Amino acid sequence: MPSHFALCIIVLVVLAVLGLPIGLSMIGASIFYLLVAGLDLGTAAEQILNGLFNSYVLLAVPLFILAAELMNSGSLTDRLLKFCLVLVGRFRGGLGHVNVVASIIFAGMSGSAIADAVGIGKVIIGMMTRNGYPVAYAGAITASAAVIGPIIPPSIPMVIYALVSDTSIGYLFLGGVIPGLLLGVAFMITNAIISRRRNYPVEPPVPMREVPRIAFNALPALMLPVVLLFGIYGGVMTPTEGAAAAAAYALLVSALIYRSMTWRQLYNVLLGSARATTSVGMLIAGALVFNYVVTIEQVPQSVQHFINGFHLTPLAYLLLVNAILLALGCLLEGSTVLLVIVPILIPAAKALGIDPVHFGVVVVVNIMIGLLTPPFGLLLFVVANMTKQPLMALVREALPFIGMAVVVLAIITLVPETVLWLPRMMGYKG
Amino acid sequence: MLVRFRSAGSWLRKRANDVAVALMALMFVSFLLQIGFRYLLNQPLGWTDEVTVLCWLWAVLWCAAFVLSDQDEIRFDIVYGLVPPGIQRVFTAASSIAIVVLFVISLPATWNYVTFMKREHTAYLHMRFDILYVVYLLFALAIIVKHLALAWRAVKSAPPEAGSMSDNTV
Repeated sequence: MPSHFALCIIVLVVLAVLGLPIGLSMIGASIFYLLVAGLDLGTAAEQILNGLFNSYVLLAVPLFILAAELMNSGSLTDRLLKFCLVLVGRFRGGLGHVNVVASIIFAGMSGSAIADAVGIGKVIIGMMTRNGYPVAYAGAITASAAVIGPIIPPSIPMVIYALVSDTSIGYLFLGGVIPGLLLGVAFMITNAIISRRRNYPVEPPVPMREVPRIAFNALPALMLPVVLLFGIYGGVMTPTEGAAAAAAYALLVSALIYRSMTWRQLYNVLLGSARATTSVGMLIAGALVFNYVVTIEQVPQSVQHFINGFHLTPLAYLLLVNAILLALGCLLEGSTVLLVIVPILIPAAKALGIDPVHFGVVVVVNIMIGLLTPPFGLLLFVVANMTKQPLMALVREALPFIGMAVVVLAIITLVPETVLWLPRMMGYKG
Repeated sequence: MLVRFRSAGSWLRKRANDVAVALMALMFVSFLLQIGFRYLLNQPLGWTDEVTVLCWLWAVLWCAAFVLSDQDEIRFDIVYGLVPPGIQRVFTAASSIAIVVLFVISLPATWNYVTFMKREHTAYLHMRFDILYVVYLLFALAIIVKHLALAWRAVKSAPPEAGSMSDNTV
């Protein structure tokens, strides 16, 4: 007779494989567990309602989604891309570099990789294909560069990690800065090598007298990361309030300065944000009750004991976690891994003395790479849908970028200082 | 008759969207008030914390019940995508019936929990929790109805997408 928990896992896997949404599968499997374990069935509602009501930090999720949707519906992205063209357009494969640099700047305003891929992709993929890049390459570099979005602060996955691990959001955000920039450099090197080999075009240099106007036009968009970072690290706002301020700023800039927002658009932006919020929110709701089951079954403790039996070094454990998450990233969506699998891995990491901020950033970078790995890579789906390219063509073009991202992941895993230096500069005692 | 039914459905769906938009807008505005009052006027507001959290709670469960379309849902569809349409219908019917059964079984206990919460009030606005938490009952009922419809259509051999709450009208 298998244990109640084993039955619960079987129900979860069966429901999910049959195609039921994952959040709902988790709720269903948890109700099943409560039923066979003879517990109060109202616990599912209790865990979801109290969990959502008491997790104040999670409010950053809808607000960062709203901020990104506001930026994408206004003309902020267009102006940002023109500015990046001035910076890096003149190099071989210029538009590829523009793509990466724009993603880095965009990452400083938005916390979602999908929002980055959609916002930047809808403009730059067209620009790149018109200038002679293959569509698949344009799509692949867009998807890859979008990975940087949630690694450079702000970051929705880091907010979720902070929730499941009780780590400071502020220090997690800071920990992502250097890894995010490393990824940017790695992608630009990749683009430079490929562009040289395939002789991709160089953009005509922008005349010097045009530069001040383009920079001035982009200024309000460029100021947003600055406002956000000073607000949060100057101690003026919590990260959640920072998310609201970013959304307000994006709205003000779109509506008043760029005059590119109608009431109808605002309604659609709010509705789109509500939808995107709910997609993640249902996973969170499912995870709240499922993690309750995991906790009463003491699964994290069992995993910890199991790991202790192998006498792993912290580094060996980190490498093991990376291998597990990269494999899971091919099959599951990032938030699911973050909400269901990662909480089980955290206690063992703490017991081994691995810094929770270092662990969090490594995990988030890893999960973001998972958005690019087939068969289930959400970013690939988004870009395939935008470009009408077959998935495999995108995957082939994305492989060098995925390889580089794994190299960066190895570096930040092996050298914790790449993550922890900046938080420590700002007073993190870890 | 059918046409009138459809147009009523589309009208209701639009109103459900309006509620979602209102919740998002209210959450956003409350947050801005909170920041403004705390840092510009140096008068922290207590109630904004509560309103924002309630909007978030309601937005998630309300949208999951009445706004989210099938495409918006995050699912593991690798296996589902590989099997022929006939088997997909079997999958949909089986998972939908399972979720309906589980939600129906837990409905009385859920009702008890929500009504039990009438003794509890929120800290600032003294709102009764049973009224706030009633959204979960709406969510549970909507999930039951939605998946009954999905199962019914899967059995009646209509394509599974037809059961989704998608709206191309907005």
